[in-house]
Amino acid sequence: MTVPANVTESLVVEETPVQSRLRTGIGLVRDLLKFHPRLFAIAVAGASLYAVCTVASSFGVAFLVDSVILPTFEAGQIDTSVYMTGAAIVIGIGLLRAFGVVVRRSFAGINNWRTVESLTMLLVRQIMTQPSVWHKRRMTGDLVARVGVDSDAAAEVLGPLPFSTSVVLLVFLTGGWLIVVDIPLGLIAISVIPILLLLNVGYQRRIDKHYDTAQHELGALSSAVHESFDGVMVVKAFGAEDRETRRLSLISTRLKDARVRAVSARSTFEALLDGVPSLVNILLLVVGAMRVESRSMTVGELTSFIYLFTLLIFPLRIIGYVLSSVPHSASGYKRVREILDEPTVFDPSLLIAHAPDGVGVALEDVSFSFNDESPVVLDSVSFRIPAGKTVVVVGATGSGKSTLLAVMAGLLQPSQGRVELAGKHASIVFQEPFLFSGSIEYNICLGRELSDEMIAEALYLSASDSFVSELANGTKTMIGERGISLSGGQRQRISLARAIAQGADVLLLDDTTSALDTVTEAVVVDRLRGMSRKVTTVVVASRPSTIALADDVLFIEGGKLTDHGPHSALMLGNENYRNLMQSFEHDRDEGDS
Amino acid sequence: MNEPVTRFGSARTIGRGMRVAPALSHGLGLTFGFAFLGTGARLVIPILIQQSIDHGLQPNQVRVSFIAMLGVIGACCVVVSSVSLRVATKRLGTRAEEGLFSLRIKLFDHIHRLSLADHNEEKRGALVSRVTSDIETLTMFFSWGGLSLLLDGSQMVAVASVMLAYDWRLALVAFAVSAPLVLVLRLVQAKLVSAHNISRERNAQLLGVFSEMVSGAETLRAYGAVDVVVDSVAKDVRRRGDSNIRAGVIGAFLFPSGEVFAVFTVMAVVGAGLLIGPAGGLTAGALVGFVFLTYRFLEPIAEFTEVIDQVQSAVASLRRVLGVLDTPIGPAQPVSPTLLPKGALSIDFVDVSFAYGSRLDDVDDDTPVLNSINLHVPGGQHIALVGPSGSGKTTLARLIARLADPTLGNVLLGGVGLTRVENADLRRRLIVVPQEPFLFADTIAYNLRFASPDATDAVLRDAFSDLELDDWLETLPYGIDTHVGQRGGSLSAGERQLVALVRAAVVRPDVLILDEATSSVDASTEVRISRALRKLALGRTTVSIAHRLSTAARAERVILLENGRIVEDGSHDQLIAKNGRYARQYQTWVSSTQSTI
Repeated sequence: MTVPANVTESLVVEETPVQSRLRTGIGLVRDLLKFHPRLFAIAVAGASLYAVCTVASSFGVAFLVDSVILPTFEAGQIDTSVYMTGAAIVIGIGLLRAFGVVVRRSFAGINNWRTVESLTMLLVRQIMTQPSVWHKRRMTGDLVARVGVDSDAAAEVLGPLPFSTSVVLLVFLTGGWLIVVDIPLGLIAISVIPILLLLNVGYQRRIDKHYDTAQHELGALSSAVHESFDGVMVVKAFGAEDRETRRLSLISTRLKDARVRAVSARSTFEALLDGVPSLVNILLLVVGAMRVESRSMTVGELTSFIYLFTLLIFPLRIIGYVLSSVPHSASGYKRVREILDEPTVFDPSLLIAHAPDGVGVALEDVSFSFNDESPVVLDSVSFRIPAGKTVVVVGATGSGKSTLLAVMAGLLQPSQGRVELAGKHASIVFQEPFLFSGSIEYNICLGRELSDEMIAEALYLSASDSFVSELANGTKTMIGERGISLSGGQRQRISLARAIAQGADVLLLDDTTSALDTVTEAVVVDRLRGMSRKVTTVVVASRPSTIALADDVLFIEGGKLTDHGPHSALMLGNENYRNLMQSFEHDRDEGDS
Repeated sequence: MNEPVTRFGSARTIGRGMRVAPALSHGLGLTFGFAFLGTGARLVIPILIQQSIDHGLQPNQVRVSFIAMLGVIGACCVVVSSVSLRVATKRLGTRAEEGLFSLRIKLFDHIHRLSLADHNEEKRGALVSRVTSDIETLTMFFSWGGLSLLLDGSQMVAVASVMLAYDWRLALVAFAVSAPLVLVLRLVQAKLVSAHNISRERNAQLLGVFSEMVSGAETLRAYGAVDVVVDSVAKDVRRRGDSNIRAGVIGAFLFPSGEVFAVFTVMAVVGAGLLIGPAGGLTAGALVGFVFLTYRFLEPIAEFTEVIDQVQSAVASLRRVLGVLDTPIGPAQPVSPTLLPKGALSIDFVDVSFAYGSRLDDVDDDTPVLNSINLHVPGGQHIALVGPSGSGKTTLARLIARLADPTLGNVLLGGVGLTRVENADLRRRLIVVPQEPFLFADTIAYNLRFASPDATDAVLRDAFSDLELDDWLETLPYGIDTHVGQRGGSLSAGERQLVALVRAAVVRPDVLILDEATSSVDASTEVRISRALRKLALGRTTVSIAHRLSTAARAERVILLENGRIVEDGSHDQLIAKNGRYARQYQTWVSSTQSTI
């Protein structure tokens, strides 16, 4: 698969003039056609067959009138062979024309969807290549829209494109032929082309404004509805249902008004599109009658001329709709390119070094701030944890505990200093665990092959074994959207099991056990300490009973490591630590998940 | 999965939709009349050709002035018809917008009045898309597909009548030869519709796949599962593309079917016309005109095949919308309400049982959450509800606030049964402060006025001082005009709590229901919260859902719930002295927070 290299940088969506729209469209199409040019070529061939047959079918009509109908009515006698010839011509051309349509539409569709697929997978790979620093800056909803909606929209223009090429061909063929048949009549007929194009241009210009307004109001409506339903408890608690309905009604009215203005503009346009060609048609008939009188053409020629003219009108009428899909596609494509063109952000986990033997985690002079102006979150933190130990990070809210874990996990790049880990890699369990909709087993293995014993061990160590065994299907139980929903504590334990099953030598738990009750939390910490493998565990926790179970405590104050030692020692020697423990003691939940 | 869907046929669904939004069908007959006139322009040309050939374009004598006169008459017809077309299009579009506007508002209002059981997290997305995307699908249908149906339908009717008027024999031949098209359309249409349904399903499913992949990207990377997941996503993307292509190819075969039938019909008409001939009273002009009419007659078929899918999705959307409107609204309002008595209000539970079970669901989940609760709380008392999660604390509080009605038994406020109290009256007297208070993406003042729309800035500031929160207010950059961000995201969890407490205070309720937050909050905010809570509860009947036993210890009376039953009831000291379950839980809690071993 080739990636379009020369991306048109001038994909400006705001301007409405047709010229710029055309320029935008051409750049967009050039990029998109690079994905599957052969499919497009087949569709265009079908479209050309359609255009040629359309013109040819007018000969069929001329033949029917001049050689079949009029002579028969004059002579009063049917010539069967002439009729059969006429039938063969008309039906043959008709079938070929239909065949052209089938080929054009099928392959336009195939090209369209294969291109969507190519764009989508480019996006998926790019997004999944970016490290979590990049993901943190992005809104999930926005990324999903780019992958799922914008890639569709970008390729949308490819659907009607072969048809447009056939329209161009048709306009030239018909226009040329009409002039060849009869010059004055031909000139009148092709005058309709610029008229309809101008109508289209004028209409698009007017309608764009209304559609933009409507689109904007629709966005406002959508977020208002979201917010209002999100806050349904508040709305109900304050009896504000009527007020909310009024608020929504205001936005909806603006949406409706914009749409009604668009409808009004459109109805005028539709009426003109219907009326103007008919008027030209009548003019053709009257002038044509004069031409027949002066013996410049036959009645059959005039009839086929008019037939051909009506065939020309239809594609001219809808070419405007084809053009109107350009801005939509262009803005979709622009949003797709924004992601594809972004350089891959450096993955900070690559900086992490191997810890020397016997050391689980070592930090040397590590500092972190989100950018140069923002305050320092971690201030030259250094420590060394022997392999296999369990250490608790303790600190007040906002002291930098989570940042410390994120730096150790290689999710954030320290502004200075060095991180070393046993096995170079740590498994981190986040505060809010993310579980996928699938079986419990799938969530633990995440695509890797693990033996049943490994899964069972992970479930045991995370204290998930008891509740999982109570489920009807055990580890095969589906969770998430199409399955059962787990409680917060159960989710945390499953995500812990997943981390354990990964087999890393360092395990980082960011407030992972907060949703567990005190007894379960103690069981988890105890089992982790008793692990047969030498796993170094760093835990953020704030329950004194849990903290007391750890081998060591790292005490963080304002981003600095101010004390380091066993809990009992810190309780005796560090007044700040003692005060913090007391405040934890006062207001901790009794915990029951 | 359990979409609220009304299971009716398409015709009944459309009929019901028209009744729910009368503006949609209002004056539809007249609109159809204009559309009928409006398609006239498409008929003028064949008629003119016939007239010209028969009366003006004789091979040896061309009557130009006659044809010119015909032209003028035809032009007038075209103008009238175009104006009618404009009227029809505008009428249909405007009526549709108005109808769907009222449907949207009705739906929105209805959803807000559904009971909380119908409002859980899982269903929220579905409810939002009822009001947004489903109504949009209907709008799209009316402005494109519906319009085509109207115009094409009237074109076929108009052309057919002109054909019959010209020559009924030829018309019958034309109808007979093109009739099998109906069968073809019906056969292929079913395939097309199911192909479209499959691709729609896969489109929707794929969005879910993407959303999960992006949300879980950090986890997937952390666990080296990216490649596995990307491969499986690639398969889903391919399947989605395949199903869309399949629908497209079926459509591609269906689209020119009208044209294919047209050439056969034209040749049959010409053959029959030649057989009838002048002897049968047919003119050459009429036959040529008929050839044009036949093309016109079958022309709309192509567009019909394009619209089939739109009709299906519009009916599906309408069905979902009606399904929501059919869901009965939450606690019903009394016909002749009783006013709540003045002053502090007592709370009574008389044999109350409760089971959740959403009426939107097919399956009834009727495990009882509360089991024959009897409870009397005198006016002004401060009680704390404690018990493990799932014990029924939150549900009990919700019943007091009438966010749901008991399945059995009665809840009384100030001696008045809640079912006899008007919602507005209740909301003035009773306020719930939820665990995770929701703030709207606006200023603090906007959020406070949500409780009391007419409150002046001074009143709002007073509410802050009443709760001793002036010092906090001063730390905010723009005071009460500070923007709180999406869902209050610019504030910390604790600060959101503070705003919610002030919001409750603004109403000056007599009953206060507090669902205590579990999230950890920094120390100074914690102090502010407990101080504000104490102030707020003063002199009011207060029900706290306590997650921390320290909160329970501060209440006048503690009620311990287990499995939906009250198992202990008394003051903290009494319960400790009783040395029962509460005392044991308290003991465990105290030791778990003990800092030294």
